[in-house]
Amino acid sequence: MCMNSSDTIMVDIVQGIMVVNTETIPGKVITETYGVVSGSTVRAKNIGRDITQSFKNIMGGELHKYTELLQESRAEAMSRLVSDAMARGANAVVNLRFATSAITPGAAELFAYGTAVKIE
Amino acid sequence: MLENILLFGLLGLSILLAAFGILWAILYPILVLWAFFFSGKKLDAMIIDTAEREAQTFAQLGKDPLSTVDGSYRKEVSAAGVVFAGAVYGPSHWHQLIGFINNIFGGSVDIYQKVISAGRAESMQRLREQAIKEGWDEVINVRIDTAVMSPATVKKGIKAVEVFAYGTGIKYS
Repeated sequence: MCMNSSDTIMVDIVQGIMVVNTETIPGKVITETYGVVSGSTVRAKNIGRDITQSFKNIMGGELHKYTELLQESRAEAMSRLVSDAMARGANAVVNLRFATSAITPGAAELFAYGTAVKIE
Repeated sequence: MLENILLFGLLGLSILLAAFGILWAILYPILVLWAFFFSGKKLDAMIIDTAEREAQTFAQLGKDPLSTVDGSYRKEVSAAGVVFAGAVYGPSHWHQLIGFINNIFGGSVDIYQKVISAGRAESMQRLREQAIKEGWDEVINVRIDTAVMSPATVKKGIKAVEVFAYGTGIKYS
């Protein structure tokens, strides 16, 4: 269910602007750069989820709710990055990087940054 | 009147906390025992499941769609975009106990290595599946990142690791 919401955000990204994590976009020429753009988000699940996940952690294995949480957060951070890039008049973002930091157990800060460019 | 309400409120709260404490004291050993019996098998089943899906993808495409090569090594590309996938994996408390004992003697802590490499294989397989779902022919410049779910300074809380893979999906015209 939550994977769907991140999927729709991804579709918006793909339609709006081209985002890649390579230095150049294969087959395109970069004509202008607009500097570093970034987007970040801190998200957490509700306490009920935290309790069920900590029970699951005792028995090991994958913690699906946290996987969903991080996927959603990453999509949100990326959509913020894309709107930042659009505001600068870019039509692509190259060299995208992700960074993560844990603030408290169960909450995560996701940070996406890249270079806004114009391609032809 | 106000004192009575306060008193009963405090009493109710402490009874609730005590009930949780008793429940936890009973439940926790059962869960750890469950982990002792089943978490190893569960982990093996996960590894086998991931390997099967990987083999299926390889058979379907004839090659691995992922590569860590950066840049435009093939020019005839019509579209490109970022793809990402991740998985949060944690060792069970039984495995954590084994890891703790292993840590005292030093050497390779095999059980943690097993859990994390299972997570890594799973997240790479998810990246392949995500790329196929979004219609990319190949994923270049794949990077694999690892992040802990709770800060190292916090003793309690979830002991889990997030393995995260991302890359640039490209479509050949």
